[in-house]
Amino acid sequence: MQDEIQQLFEERLARYQATIALEPTDRMIVGGTGSNYFAEVYAGYTRQEIMYDINKWMAAESKFAEDFPEIDLLRSGRIWAPIFDSVGFKLYRLPGRDLPKDTDFQFVEGEWMKADEYDLLINNPVEFLIEHRLPRVLGELKERGSARSYMAFLKGGMAYMLMAQVMRERALNLEKKHGLPQPFQGVMLAPFDTLADGYRGLQGIMIDLFERPDKLLEACDALIPDSVSCAIATANPLKQYPIFMPLHRGNHPFLSPKQFDTFYWPSLFKAIMLLIEAGYTVRAYLEGDWTPNWHHWNEFPRGKIICDIDNKADISRAKKEIGNNVCLAGGILDRMFIFGTPEEIRSRVKELCETAGRDGGLILNGGCGIPYSTKPENFRAYVNATLEYGKYSDTLRPKVKKVPPPSVGKIPSPRVITPWEVKLREFGGVMGDETLIKGVWETLEQRAFCWLRFWDW
Amino acid sequence: MAQLTDLAQALVDLEKDRVNAIVEDKLKRGILPLEIVKELNDGMIEVGERFASCEYFISELMYSSHIMKEILVRLEPLFGQTDLRESGNMVIIGTVKGDIHDIGKNIVVTLLKNAGFRVTDMGIDVPAERFVEKLKETGAKVLGLSCLLNVAFQEMRNVVDTLTRTGIRDHVKVIIGGQPTDEKVREYVGADYYASDAVAGVKICKEIYGQ
Repeated sequence: MQDEIQQLFEERLARYQATIALEPTDRMIVGGTGSNYFAEVYAGYTRQEIMYDINKWMAAESKFAEDFPEIDLLRSGRIWAPIFDSVGFKLYRLPGRDLPKDTDFQFVEGEWMKADEYDLLINNPVEFLIEHRLPRVLGELKERGSARSYMAFLKGGMAYMLMAQVMRERALNLEKKHGLPQPFQGVMLAPFDTLADGYRGLQGIMIDLFERPDKLLEACDALIPDSVSCAIATANPLKQYPIFMPLHRGNHPFLSPKQFDTFYWPSLFKAIMLLIEAGYTVRAYLEGDWTPNWHHWNEFPRGKIICDIDNKADISRAKKEIGNNVCLAGGILDRMFIFGTPEEIRSRVKELCETAGRDGGLILNGGCGIPYSTKPENFRAYVNATLEYGKYSDTLRPKVKKVPPPSVGKIPSPRVITPWEVKLREFGGVMGDETLIKGVWETLEQRAFCWLRFWDW
Repeated sequence: MAQLTDLAQALVDLEKDRVNAIVEDKLKRGILPLEIVKELNDGMIEVGERFASCEYFISELMYSSHIMKEILVRLEPLFGQTDLRESGNMVIIGTVKGDIHDIGKNIVVTLLKNAGFRVTDMGIDVPAERFVEKLKETGAKVLGLSCLLNVAFQEMRNVVDTLTRTGIRDHVKVIIGGQPTDEKVREYVGADYYASDAVAGVKICKEIYGQ
């Protein structure tokens, strides 16, 4: 039984990897969404229960995997909410806490970095985060130096490790019990989005585009190494899954094409290239409408990226314009899952399998996810139709890709706050094996820095 | 459109320093704040036109609003009792209950104001009953419902049902908009119009009021 599940896991993973690589596969991926909101609530739990109770979250995923055993990938909820409470993170409103328990969690817009803090962010990000930004976004730090604020750092660090454990348990449950791989692991924001979402906020960034363009550009570049190293720290160590990138302000018409080309793209391109050179693939949500900007995705090496196309853009046009270089996901409007009929879904799946998906490189999905209020019969129709019309070959059996060799020299070194050399001097040298002490010291330092960046969004 | 004044043109060109300098100069010369605002409004209308024709983007739209807001803060103490907002056709707008996103809605509000509408922005997470109260209180003929999340479809439908239940459905035209909406969603919700983007929303408002 365990061998069968393992085999199923490998088949699915290999199919997913081949799809991303734009290589031939036996059939189209089923249920290959990165954000299966429907799976969260399908078992009947509230959104609050899923976000707060890991057992219910795992039970919901198991129930979904059992009722839809044909799906190839599964990732439901995004976050274990207690980590937000541990430090009083202000960037979200949560179901059951400050929203009714069956409402979606939602992002709160705000200005969390001042316009005159660019130089500090660029030159001393640790001081910027610890002294300026975190006390604004983490409510528990508001009384600096108080017992409560020290406890918040402690609880936040513990919650961070607990959440990593929760995520591992979920992934293992899906892999070992249901043979299901993850659609991605690890996350990175575009440097511009880091500034636009959780630092300067939309209003601030729009002013900075005109009033301090040089600083904005310099900050985008300065964010690259830490963004990349923190993404890798949370990514799949075997590089089996893509790294997730929800992309926001490349959405037309936020920026003019010139602004996109100048401010948004160059730093994102550099960051993604570093990940690709390090042997990773990337799954980018092109949220909103990226039509005027998506031609840039042709600049990457072929078969390394999957782009999710949102409701507002046309998947067939995307396929024509970038589908030879990147894999795509999307094509079924959210509203079709919500109040369409099984016949409509079936006919849409058939149409896409015969057109944009005919030669592979396409995963049928809603707009960057499967909506919460999807009708079960519509999801069932989508699964059945994809299996029926999305077949490419009876004989092909893709193999799981070998772990790419570690790249040399290109991956930015993770940042540390107190380098080992400083600590070693303070020790006045060590009497035994230095590497034993140094290795753990640096690992904890690096994790702690990524914790500071965890609150970016 | 008539030739823009230097001040209006400076705003359209997004040259904040020039806008400030011209405003200060006008004030020194004793020109009434209301006259200054009128010129700036002409500039904002032109910015809205450029946005509609895809010559400008949200970045330019927001930056022009930022310049305008700073000038209004500067001029406010000089206005006395004059109320600038006492004219124009009225639009009530808000993000429906369960959704706290407002970027799209705010863009529509900016464009509507640029186009001379009197807008009551109800904000985010607005329950159906509050829309009804405001519509009754103001007698506005247009209600704009915004959302980003697809779970809001049900709530939009609830707003339309509440308008019917409270007997004011026939007096109000309902426009829906937001990232996941389309014509099918409009049918489901029972709204009168679907606005595919902010510019379309303004056009629909003009059409309803016969402008």
